[in-house]
Amino acid sequence: MKVNPELIDEIKKYGAFDISACFNCGNCTAVCPLSKEDASFPRKLIRAGHVGMEEKINSAIEPWHCYYCGECSSTCPREAQPGEYMMTLRRYLIAKYDITGLSKIFYKNGWLQTWLALGMLAAFYWLYASYTGDFGALAGKIELAFPVYVTIALGGYIVNMYRHVIVKPLGGIKASLKPAHIYETLVHGFTQKNFNGCEETDWTRWIAHLLVMSGYVLTLLISNLHLLSPLDDHYGAFGPVSLLVWYAGLAILVGGGIMSLRRMFKSAESSKFSHPSDWLFVVTMFLIGASLLFTHYLNVAYGPGDPLLAKVYRFNIAIETVWILLIVPFTKWIHIFFRPLAVYFQHVKKEAEAGTAFTLSLGK
Amino acid sequence: MDEKTRDEAAKDNFRQEPKVGVYVCHCGGNISDIIDVKAVAAALARYPGVAVAREYAFMCSSNGQDLIAEDIKNLGVNRTVVAACSPSLHELTFRNVLQRAGVNPYLHEHINIREQASWVHKFDKAGATAKAIKLAQAGVEKVLRKDALNAIRVAAEQRVAVIGGGAAGMRAALSAAGKGLEAVIIEKGPALGGKLLELGRLYPSGEEGAAVAGKLEALVRADSRITVHTAVDIDFVSGFVGNFKINFKKADGRSEQVKAGAIVMATGYEHYKPAKGEFGYGEDANVVTLPEFIALMKNSPAGRLALAGKEIKSLALIHCVGSRQVEGVHKPQADGKINDYCSRVCCTAALHTVNQLKDKYPGVRVYDIYRDIRTYGMQHEEYYDKASKDGVLFMRHNEADQPVVASDRTGHTVKVKDVLTWGEELEVKADLVVLVTGMMPADISLIKSQLKLPSSADRFLQEVHLKLRPVELANSGIFVAGTAQYPMDVTEAMAAAGTAAAKAAILLAEPDIPLEPFVAVVDEHKCTGCGLCPPECSYDGALMMGEHNGKKVAVVNPALCKGCGACVAVCPVRAINVAGWTLDQFDAMVDAIAKE
Repeated sequence: MKVNPELIDEIKKYGAFDISACFNCGNCTAVCPLSKEDASFPRKLIRAGHVGMEEKINSAIEPWHCYYCGECSSTCPREAQPGEYMMTLRRYLIAKYDITGLSKIFYKNGWLQTWLALGMLAAFYWLYASYTGDFGALAGKIELAFPVYVTIALGGYIVNMYRHVIVKPLGGIKASLKPAHIYETLVHGFTQKNFNGCEETDWTRWIAHLLVMSGYVLTLLISNLHLLSPLDDHYGAFGPVSLLVWYAGLAILVGGGIMSLRRMFKSAESSKFSHPSDWLFVVTMFLIGASLLFTHYLNVAYGPGDPLLAKVYRFNIAIETVWILLIVPFTKWIHIFFRPLAVYFQHVKKEAEAGTAFTLSLGK
Repeated sequence: MDEKTRDEAAKDNFRQEPKVGVYVCHCGGNISDIIDVKAVAAALARYPGVAVAREYAFMCSSNGQDLIAEDIKNLGVNRTVVAACSPSLHELTFRNVLQRAGVNPYLHEHINIREQASWVHKFDKAGATAKAIKLAQAGVEKVLRKDALNAIRVAAEQRVAVIGGGAAGMRAALSAAGKGLEAVIIEKGPALGGKLLELGRLYPSGEEGAAVAGKLEALVRADSRITVHTAVDIDFVSGFVGNFKINFKKADGRSEQVKAGAIVMATGYEHYKPAKGEFGYGEDANVVTLPEFIALMKNSPAGRLALAGKEIKSLALIHCVGSRQVEGVHKPQADGKINDYCSRVCCTAALHTVNQLKDKYPGVRVYDIYRDIRTYGMQHEEYYDKASKDGVLFMRHNEADQPVVASDRTGHTVKVKDVLTWGEELEVKADLVVLVTGMMPADISLIKSQLKLPSSADRFLQEVHLKLRPVELANSGIFVAGTAQYPMDVTEAMAAAGTAAAKAAILLAEPDIPLEPFVAVVDEHKCTGCGLCPPECSYDGALMMGEHNGKKVAVVNPALCKGCGACVAVCPVRAINVAGWTLDQFDAMVDAIAKE
């Protein structure tokens, strides 16, 4: 194999500036609770980066398994930050799988995405505020457009990931049809139970992560199914929709609050390094939760005609718009989907090796 | 023969009736936990010739020593046996006790019942005790037959000859002169400085090699006690401790002789020269050794590293060239041996050079191909650290999988079976291949054969004991400094040179050098002049046939004799004995041990 020293320079543009210090001792792999025979990392991926094994990096699913418990980084005798390298690979891979090429530009240009997000937030708020028609009806349409947009964006990623992880290295279209594997994929996706695999489980982090994720998925449902029409209906404090909103908003606020504090005080290995996009992600999520809660509180307390409610609701829709347009497709948000997919692809790889995978032959 | 022997007026006790004192040491439990020391003392007290036998917790302590001194004073004890630890540890301690109490110090016998009994027979206490008794009894038999001996004294030239004028040689001469001795530097090359002159920046200080050489030379030239001979050829070296003679030819053809009491061998090293075709060396101009690369980099302008007009954008270093060679993998050297030793300094030198390269030409890609990285010195690891952080890509191969260099018009391709990439064969393109070559000892075969200097399997001069006598050769009065001994860096060579000079100064501290009296002694009445013994002697001039009172006999030069006993073994008439270790003594010891 021809050595390509440019690759590691390229990866370093996404973070992990110390990774060249690694001398391949393998302590990181030894302590990693998730590193097993069929998924051995991070050492091998670091070496693959060093010598420029581009295909191996592009088809790597290990970064999506990693929960960044930080054991590897605190054990590393060279302070090469292997855990941060895994996060860096995620960014690199997101940029790789992104068909628009925008993620790459955002990741490499520090705060660009944040400035753009601020600009878009102001623009959309101004746009929504100056809309003279029935904003409740417009919001309904906007919210229904979100899932379409997200599906298209996500579809591109999944197809690209599948191409790099399965089609290229395994030489064809392969799948696993075992119900157990599909079930496990879903379980991992919703419970993130591999967190418990991390030794000395960081319970605060797990709870924060679970709160944010569940709150976020609910918010997604509420908005994408357009369950709320705060400018038209008056909700009771304990109606079924309200309960959903209270939980979703509070979960995001508490979870996001914990995450922000941890990043601010760098209390764990996993929160020592913050890419600008990490901040943008956490803060925007926090704002969505806060504006959703506030909107609903105003509606419950003062009814749909409240003038402050009209403003806050517009802000809520504006920030959701920015979120969907700019953040969802171009940040680590997508790891929500990549993680269960990685679990699934691992099964496909194993089955392909064993020759039991479902294979779609094209021609030949 | 210009040495003189001098009989010091030691008290001559050996004509008195022998009274042996036996002292059994507990060694704080090391001995007494296994051996019944009271039983040993009791058994020895009854033994013929023994005046007193005692046991004590620590014979070597001042209380223990006083015990012996008092017995000498009060009981008239005039020979001693101490049954304790190894004689290499405390024999001298007890000899000194005797000397202080006015008894000839060589009328002492040290018996080792620790290493030879209590430590090795832990599970057989009765057996160990019986063995200790036998050994002590043999000691009594021996000491009864001992003669009072006197140290041999040899007059010495108050001058140190330093062969080699590199870093170690200059340092050794300066240290010797600093202790008030005359020093003479004898250097083959035209100038002082040796290999220092070729080296670039030295780690860890970053000074230029030539600048360090210049500083040392200025000090040497300023010292009136140091004489320097450069561009000379040594043609004959002879003599022994205190009286060495070094004959050499000067550039103008004249011969000169230096007399010296001690010699410091600071003869240095040569860079390993790769064989033609070894990793493409000698076949392709773009394969160079590390010293060649250091010169190339020194002469390259900032901004563009070039060799013969062609810019070098990438280079691959291959470590351990000419070092740590493996039988069956590497071709043997001219003498049929392989260089299986590690040259120690090359890893740090290579990384230090790479660091300078990366500072001067940050854009150059560097691949470092190694078997093991041994940056062993103080803070040398930082060179590795910097190199890896600067993006130098390290690749590691097994001893059997040597890297392969293939060259074409576009440059070199180096193939490495990289252990770090799970054995994958990696290929790198490099404009220049740098072979990190090791050290070989300089050719000093003439001096080595004339002085019979010992060298190890890897051809470097070999010290007596790496820890206990690190700069002394087995030949008394000859010391080794720097890379003549083994590959070392300038820092280590300087330290070794200072040590060698200190050892020489201790040796020459008095006008006479005292030597152990354990040398061969010929009984001229018994000697038949058969001539069997001189061929057995390994030390030139120590034993020769001569005439005494008109009779042909073997004659010993005590200054050269090492007391090895090879001559004793071949004498058919028991005419030769080693003083202090006579055949009669051995007979009596064996009889004592074998007695039922």
